[in-house]
Amino acid sequence: MRRISRLIALLAVFALVAAACGAGDGDDAAAGDTTAATEAPDQAPDETTAETEPPAEEPAEEPAERITVQFWHAMADDLGAVVDQLVDAYNSSQDAVEVVATFQGSYDDTYNALIASFDAGGEPNIVQNFDLAAQTMIDTGKLAPAYQYMSPGDADAFLAAPRDYYSDENGMVALAFNSSTPIVYYNAGMFESAGLDAPAEDWTFDEFLATCETLQASGVQFCATFGTVGWYFEQILANSGGLYFDNDNGRTGRATEAVFNTGQGVEVFDFLTGLIANGQAPNLGSTWTDTDSVFFAGEAAMIFDSTSGARGFQDNADFEVQTAFIPHSNSSERNGVVIGGAALWLMDSGDEAINAAAWDFMSFMTQAEQQVVWHTGTGYFPVLGSLQDSPPADLASFWEENPNFVTAINQLATTKTINDDGSPNYAVLGGRAGPFPEIRRIIVEAYSAVLDGGSTPQEALDEAAGKANQTLSDYNEFFGG
Amino acid sequence: MSRQNTSAYLYILPTFAVLGLFVYFPIIASARLSLNRVAPFGNQEIWVGLGNYTRLLQDPEFWDTIRVSVLMTAGTIVGVGVAVGIAILLSVPMRRLSWLHRSLIFVPVVISSAIAGVLFRLLYNPVVGFFNYWLSLVGIDGPNWLNSRSWALTAVTITVVWRQIGFNVIIALAGLQQIDEQLYEAAKVDGAGVIARVRKITLPLLTPTLFFLLIVNVIISLQTFGEINILTDGGPGRATTNLVYSVFVDAFVGTSFRGFASAQAFLLAILIVVISFVQFRGLGKRVHYG
Repeated sequence: MRRISRLIALLAVFALVAAACGAGDGDDAAAGDTTAATEAPDQAPDETTAETEPPAEEPAEEPAERITVQFWHAMADDLGAVVDQLVDAYNSSQDAVEVVATFQGSYDDTYNALIASFDAGGEPNIVQNFDLAAQTMIDTGKLAPAYQYMSPGDADAFLAAPRDYYSDENGMVALAFNSSTPIVYYNAGMFESAGLDAPAEDWTFDEFLATCETLQASGVQFCATFGTVGWYFEQILANSGGLYFDNDNGRTGRATEAVFNTGQGVEVFDFLTGLIANGQAPNLGSTWTDTDSVFFAGEAAMIFDSTSGARGFQDNADFEVQTAFIPHSNSSERNGVVIGGAALWLMDSGDEAINAAAWDFMSFMTQAEQQVVWHTGTGYFPVLGSLQDSPPADLASFWEENPNFVTAINQLATTKTINDDGSPNYAVLGGRAGPFPEIRRIIVEAYSAVLDGGSTPQEALDEAAGKANQTLSDYNEFFGG
Repeated sequence: MSRQNTSAYLYILPTFAVLGLFVYFPIIASARLSLNRVAPFGNQEIWVGLGNYTRLLQDPEFWDTIRVSVLMTAGTIVGVGVAVGIAILLSVPMRRLSWLHRSLIFVPVVISSAIAGVLFRLLYNPVVGFFNYWLSLVGIDGPNWLNSRSWALTAVTITVVWRQIGFNVIIALAGLQQIDEQLYEAAKVDGAGVIARVRKITLPLLTPTLFFLLIVNVIISLQTFGEINILTDGGPGRATTNLVYSVFVDAFVGTSFRGFASAQAFLLAILIVVISFVQFRGLGKRVHYG
């Protein structure tokens, strides 16, 4: 009896340890395999030919046989249904190409699946990946940049902000697909009973805080609510004309240093942490969802959130929801917002016919008709300028019924992508750096350092910049940086 | 090789193949990765030898993750004590409703850690959550459970303990039922009270079960992941980032540094083996097997 009990206990230990290692290391192994595969020399020629050969060199030889294009996306539930609807529309619109859309989970899941596929095979031809991954997608060396397939002038059809965000010196590297920006939603009833008008488009921090004072004096518990995620800091910094990285936000050279701890960055971070520290906003942590319940329960008059949530706010609130632009610092002019969301990336399959087929689908998705379906179905922006200038009837009536979408689009359309002197406004083009997602996490920690760790905003940002610089140099080491 | 041996090897082949593919091979691949710096998309590696390990050992954030892991484990051990207490109460042959109590106690085990996380997230919400509402009814101004550095770890640990308690109670109950009724009757005859019976009979004879629960709970708490992921995402700051969560973040979230993550995974495995060994050596001797 004694022996058996001991044996069972021992076995249990080993089973648990083995299970732990199995779970943790299994995925590491997938990454290891990837490395082996990409080191193989046969990858290189494909890439060079792809860059030199003109696209669609071989016209479809056998029209009878459909080319299959694998499309991986990260759009769940209702959004995924709209993706499927568009894919079906494409597949039935012609018979040369069949697109197979696969939902891969979150952006992180999709990206990890992509990495695993580099080795295991079954790489997708088109993959959806989010804004911050731009530099990493370029660095995979497996990208077929969009500009290879675009005619000169094609890019002009796009709104400047999404176009320039996903461009390098040669042109667009990916097609903006689901684009969103941050916006302020507010409880119209609370504004009215506090005697407040709609906020001005270019409101400053001081104007925002004055609004807060009036609101709280009228009995509202919290003026605003927002998650302590990195995104609002990035966006309000851009709106205030501040840079995030050196080398013009990492757009004229690889980013080597974070500069958000200088100038505007401190003023912005002081504002955001101050809202929470002074009881104008509750501290809900780095959440995207908990803020909703506070706003819906009428505990906060304003909420920072993504424009992609416009429909949800409108439908789920039992009060009238209106929208305003995000504020900017007192010492700056309004600059505008950085495009967020995700883009479609064409992965080089090594076979021009397949690449061309994949491109055909991607350009289909950015045509006006599909953009209207996408926009009205999901709330993500239409990325074409023409829809802005002369919306078709169904879009115009949609906007009439849903004025909050119009605020969102106007905020983007009035973004100052070009400075008065004609130079690019790198602040609103947004930062670009390989390890940007990691640096966003570092900013989340900086919030906590101020709110809970006794640091000043300046100290917290300095510490964050130090960590960010270490991460940047770790990353850049792979690229001779 | 004799015929008998051949068939023996054939018998273990399926198990060995599965283990080899999903356990041994990944361990070896991970060991190799831990000696390299790996580019986020895996197509480049820089050999650093033990560089990842030395960097970890000098990194205060790494020691912080160890501290979080240990504190969480300590909390879980308290949870084992609570579970044993509940089991003793439940073991009193209690009228007709004991099956109901047992089922109710066991329910949290059936709930996945993700669902438990979502549930508790709602309960902990500082503005619209239930916990602080209930506390306010008795005049207490509740803390910001998940978003203050001093409370977040406690909040996560409570969730882990809550979810684990049903399993612990059931195992402890099974252990209690193994104890011979005659011992209690004899003690009663000798005039021993309830407390004396629990101390002198129940607990000593329960030690094999306690030992098992302790080891299992320590390992489970060192591997806590789901609750952290849903409740706090390792924050605020890094207040609830344990070693497992740190491995996950470095390997799979945002910008991945898989070599660094693999090194941490190895240190975690070593830590678990060492702790289990110490438990066997230190506590094993004090276990009374009936």
